[in-house]
Amino acid sequence: MSGRPGRRVFWAACLLLCLAGFLVSLLSGPVRTTPGDLVRFIKSPDPVRAAIFLDLRLSRAVLAFLVGAALALSGAILQGYFRNPMADPFVVGVSSGASLGAVVATALGFEAAAFGFSGPGLLAFVSGLGIVSLVYGLSMRRGGLKVETILLTGIAAGALASALTSFLLFMRSDSYDQAVFWLLGSFQLAEWGQAATIAPWVALCLVASVWLARDMDLLALGDETAQALGSPVRRVRKAFLAMSALLAALSVAVSGIIGFVGLVVPHWVRILIGPAHRPLFAASALAGGTFLLYCDLLARNILPAELPIGVITAAVGAPFFLYLLYKKR
Amino acid sequence: MRKQGLSVSVFLVLAAVLGHGSAAAQVITDSLGRPFPRPARPPGRIVSMAPNITEILFALGLGDRVVGVTRFCDYPPEAARLPRIGGLVDPNVEIIRSLDPDLVIAFRGNPLRLVDRIRKLGLPVFVLDIGRGFEDLPALIAKIGRVTGTEARAEALAASLLDRLGAVDAALRGIAARPKVFVLLYGQGLWTSGGESYVNDLIGRAGGTNVAAALPKKWALYKRERIIRDDPEAVFILARSAADFEAGRKWLAGMPGIAAVSAVRTGRVYEIDENAASRYGPRLVDVLDRMAALLHPDRFGGEP
Repeated sequence: MSGRPGRRVFWAACLLLCLAGFLVSLLSGPVRTTPGDLVRFIKSPDPVRAAIFLDLRLSRAVLAFLVGAALALSGAILQGYFRNPMADPFVVGVSSGASLGAVVATALGFEAAAFGFSGPGLLAFVSGLGIVSLVYGLSMRRGGLKVETILLTGIAAGALASALTSFLLFMRSDSYDQAVFWLLGSFQLAEWGQAATIAPWVALCLVASVWLARDMDLLALGDETAQALGSPVRRVRKAFLAMSALLAALSVAVSGIIGFVGLVVPHWVRILIGPAHRPLFAASALAGGTFLLYCDLLARNILPAELPIGVITAAVGAPFFLYLLYKKR
Repeated sequence: MRKQGLSVSVFLVLAAVLGHGSAAAQVITDSLGRPFPRPARPPGRIVSMAPNITEILFALGLGDRVVGVTRFCDYPPEAARLPRIGGLVDPNVEIIRSLDPDLVIAFRGNPLRLVDRIRKLGLPVFVLDIGRGFEDLPALIAKIGRVTGTEARAEALAASLLDRLGAVDAALRGIAARPKVFVLLYGQGLWTSGGESYVNDLIGRAGGTNVAAALPKKWALYKRERIIRDDPEAVFILARSAADFEAGRKWLAGMPGIAAVSAVRTGRVYEIDENAASRYGPRLVDVLDRMAALLHPDRFGGEP
């Protein structure tokens, strides 16, 4: 740990990058816009610029930030929960369950939209949470809750859901284009309704996890020790698992499966500011949001056609991750 | 009492139906079955999300009101000079919005999620589908006429197409045989038009028989052995240029066993303009004329 000044530099840099990211997001896109255009728009708004700046670019940037924050926070929680650095938001089966839901919805032509979610998004959310509950229920049976059992059940249930997804894609090859959108993630359909739906939950989970962070620190000493030190281990574990699943399912529902953010961002943050969970949770959310904001900028600006954002998160995240690991050693 | 109740409800149903009927005059449904409010004024800034729609708009004399087209819209040539909104599966929502259209005409091949995103920005989006045969084309033109306020022109265009269709029918009345035709969509492999494609319909109307008609698809990969077995009497190669056609002809004839097929032996391998044939628009009737003349030269006064 580099102590307080290092932490302060980290926060300042993150905030600055984040603000810059929002500004660049507002100004870049297929329609050429200059900072002058933005200033002119703020002085005298017109419907076309309002749609481009606010409805398309800003809503998209805000949603990307929220999803990035949600995924990184979810990953940070689960890495602490499982005391395992390989854990990510999708380890308990949320991603496979959610993609199954989305693909089923597309195959059935389920279009009913609600709460700013599209039909597939809604079904993805429900089935993502459904599979986590199933995993949790199955793990409970065997005399109390064992962390390893959740992990393994999650992997097995996820594999089953993936098999069903592949089968459906094979049977309905015409929904392939739609499926890629869910399986690799995109913010192409971002709108304010989605941001408004997930923002309160992301904020609530962030506050709650920061509040419970001390208990997460104690869990690192082992469940018995934590219990002995006065932490209500079972309740804390339940709360953290529920929050991480909710965050992951919300993210998938609005933007499809975006890998790597939840795995890598908490690691970066831990390397930079240390393992204490209170700052780790807050900083992961900020860094994750900022990271995804920049990834989305790349996804929509590198090529004339939009790239799936999952391609960018992995391509950008992996080398940087390796570099940090190497430097630390 | 009961009877009275019944007649009252019959009346209510009738009233509802009639009321709906008069409302329907103002509301058009698109091919997704969604109601589209008929514009109060003819739209002045139209974005077309497919080449055949662009073509129909220009044919209706609306070229000067089209403000955005896809990168594939190259007919008529002046359409290619208009601002591009992207492609069929990757139209750009931001660019479409920036053109400030008062009518966006999409088609079923555009991803529905993007079409919906455009609609959510408050732009009126009318979605159309291509038909399975020539008979759906006048209805498509009529629909575009209704949403653009050019009903009379649409009617005239549809009528002229039907006239030319009738002329082909008349010329082919009583033909002795319907030559077997294999269609090759030159490019990547033995792609042909199946029974659900409008090209299949065109071949039938041109007095031929599509050998791949039994395939329940629009476009399908065909097998070499099946061509040899079918022994088509004519081959239509949909090609983008004369050079493409020549390359396609050589490629096909060079395949083992194909040289023995009737069409290749007798030299009845013909070029069809891919650009016209691949767009479900007014030029299909040109394609029909050419196909009919190639299959039945005796009926159209001369050698092909």
